[in-house]
Amino acid sequence: MTRHLLKLVWNRKRSNVLIAVEILLSFIVLVGVTTLAVFYVDNYRKPLGYDVENIWTISFEKHAPGRSSVTIESGPEDAAAARKPVDRGFVGQRARIAQLMMSLRDMPEVESVAAAFVTPYSSNTWNSDIEVGGKHHRYGFNAATDDFARTLGLEVTRGRWFSRDDDGAAWTPVVLNERLAQEVFPDKDPIGQFVDEQRPGDSQGPRMRVVGVIREFRKDGEYAAPENFLFNRNRLDDPDVEVQPPNEIVVRVKPGTTAAFEEKAITRLRGAEPEWTFQAEPLTQSRETSHRLWLAPLSAAAVISVFLLIMVAMGLTGVLWLHVTQRTREIGLRRAKGATIVNIQRQLVGEVVVLTSIACLAGVVIIVQFPLLDVFSAVSPMVYGVSVAISLVCIYLLSMACAWVPSRLASAIQPAEALRYE
Amino acid sequence: MLKSYLKLAWKVLWRRRFFTATSLFGISVTLVVLMVATALLDHTFAPMPPEVRQERTLGIFRARFTGPHSTWNSAAGYRMLDRYARNLPGVERMGMVSVPTEVQSYPGGTRVDSTMRRADAEFWRILDFTFVEGGPFTDQDVANGSSVAVINVATRDRFFGGPPAVGRTIEADNQRFRVIGVIENVSTTRPVSSGDVFVPLTTAKTDAYKQEMLGDFFGLLLARSPADFPAVKAELLSRLKSVEMPDRDYDRFFAPAETYFESVASRSFGDRNEERSHPERLWGAMVFVGLLFMLLPTVNLVNLNVSRIMERASEIGVRKAFGASSRTLVGQFVVENLVLTLVGAVIGFVLSAIVLRTISGTGLFPYAHLHINIRVFVYGVGLAVLFGLISGVYPAWRMSRLQPVSALKGATR
Repeated sequence: MTRHLLKLVWNRKRSNVLIAVEILLSFIVLVGVTTLAVFYVDNYRKPLGYDVENIWTISFEKHAPGRSSVTIESGPEDAAAARKPVDRGFVGQRARIAQLMMSLRDMPEVESVAAAFVTPYSSNTWNSDIEVGGKHHRYGFNAATDDFARTLGLEVTRGRWFSRDDDGAAWTPVVLNERLAQEVFPDKDPIGQFVDEQRPGDSQGPRMRVVGVIREFRKDGEYAAPENFLFNRNRLDDPDVEVQPPNEIVVRVKPGTTAAFEEKAITRLRGAEPEWTFQAEPLTQSRETSHRLWLAPLSAAAVISVFLLIMVAMGLTGVLWLHVTQRTREIGLRRAKGATIVNIQRQLVGEVVVLTSIACLAGVVIIVQFPLLDVFSAVSPMVYGVSVAISLVCIYLLSMACAWVPSRLASAIQPAEALRYE
Repeated sequence: MLKSYLKLAWKVLWRRRFFTATSLFGISVTLVVLMVATALLDHTFAPMPPEVRQERTLGIFRARFTGPHSTWNSAAGYRMLDRYARNLPGVERMGMVSVPTEVQSYPGGTRVDSTMRRADAEFWRILDFTFVEGGPFTDQDVANGSSVAVINVATRDRFFGGPPAVGRTIEADNQRFRVIGVIENVSTTRPVSSGDVFVPLTTAKTDAYKQEMLGDFFGLLLARSPADFPAVKAELLSRLKSVEMPDRDYDRFFAPAETYFESVASRSFGDRNEERSHPERLWGAMVFVGLLFMLLPTVNLVNLNVSRIMERASEIGVRKAFGASSRTLVGQFVVENLVLTLVGAVIGFVLSAIVLRTISGTGLFPYAHLHINIRVFVYGVGLAVLFGLISGVYPAWRMSRLQPVSALKGATR
């Protein structure tokens, strides 16, 4: 049966090539959109790691020389150069931030206050990498104060979060997320391990030692792919002049606190530090803004591809219809030889199914290159697999529906009438 | 002759309603998508008020210290612009404006978010804002650090509920400003000129900005003509060679003068350590995406046309048998195709206008008024005509050269 259908398709190869190309392109468009959608759904189901309700973020600009609204990407330290620490006024700025946090803690609505470089949904990012056992691990970086985990509701799964216990330590305490801990230490307990290797000749700074592991911290929110994450401790009273001050304050308020809290807090901060610029936003609002940014490209792509598919469906139906009318004689002959209506319909739809299969096979060969060449490293092969499966179902349904309408027309052909043309 | 062609075309298109509808749907939807995309690009890159002198304006949008292991990226600082970008040869005016900062005010207890920008007086001469009330601040205001502000219509309505605003005071970022001018809203897709509140740059809370090489200012250079651009760029680069490094982590300073399009191109496609920007790569990417999108509609159109012509083999045969020349037949099919494409174009035009108006109305792009780009529309229609002719008329022409008898027999394959 299949071989017979293949032969029929081959006999009309010139017009069939165009139809196959059209189906192939539609398939690729569909895979593109569904991959994005499946990617989002897949990410959305995974734990976020922090609370969103009842949390405000307050960002501030310090209007002072050497302020940190710039991005500094640090590379490996230059081993030969013994660097003199550069004083950019960080110690004083950190002390002033500690003052501001104190004055927020005095407010009756406030449960806890912390500071960090990067807060959830913010557009600031800081990436870095470490080398352990000859393997590089890339991660998102953040430095936060001792109250950060409590304020944002981070779940510590092993070890502990930073605390005053780390004050005198001879190493830099770090907290990893589960993903990074799993990647770096697949078969041992990460607590107490050092995560950076030092070779002779490297600058002999304090090494990073794991004190705890948190479930997750997905800075870019629900739709972003989960990433490795590493926290440093940011100590506001650290005497080291090179420790940068944090960029943002996070405040957890008591449930039921209204938006009026925002103006009160800002007024208080402005009173304490009139030269700085403050900006407050509830985390729920940041989430909304971030979701809009993530969903805009998906909705635009979805709308466009729905129109494209309607266009393809209409076009395909039209073309197949014309093919049927051209084949009146052939169909009439088959009917005269005893083929039933169902036989004819099955043949016509079968031909289209064969065409679709050829087109999809080519499409899958193209799509497979993406995970193989790791074009989008954030997208897992599983996501591609699911979206290809969804697209296959859609494209077969679409093309069979397009073939079914004309095949009904064909089955209405009376053998006697068809053969009269001969 | 043409009249009978048109009549014929109309009849044929009307007879095959489903196919006509399919073709029209394809052509018009493709045009709508193309129009929305180009309207957004135009709104970002093309000259429009107040950036009416954009053709001869260069900007300094980014500055960077680099070293073997470190990069420090930001916008340019006041000191860099003041010391190195003034009096460049071929430049008529140099102005500066800070990157937008979000500030919050609480007039009457409700929160108002505004984007605030600090500028000098030259900024108002390089750009051509439409003032609804009052006027811009002057060199005198900037020199004195006067607490005056120019706000846009949206901000006026948020603070005061309507005109007049000049003479009244607003609070922004814990500072009070007297409103001296109200300008028309400028779309937020224009990072050079869009903003809610403009104040003199000297009203900054501290003088720290005056010492910054990297900071948060855009420099705007109004050249005499675009022909001076290469000289301006080269002169600025050579002046920057003498910049002192902030510390030994860095060994190079870089702050190019470029058009806004070039700056976007180098942000998306530039190599981090490469000084040249690559506008052609951004152009290439946009054309590539556009063509990729048009591929499916084109194949669909070609498919429909080819099948349609095959179906009409016997008609061609009959016409040939009655003495119609190939030329007459081709003429008929050309007219038919043109009529179809042009009707699709008209529908596409109307739909685009409706869709663009809807998008402008949703507030998805604040203060935007999207318009159809006629030039791109003509290109789009041109492409539709081209493929219509290739796919509809070429097979018809081949068929018209067959012997009438074989055409009549239906020798289509």
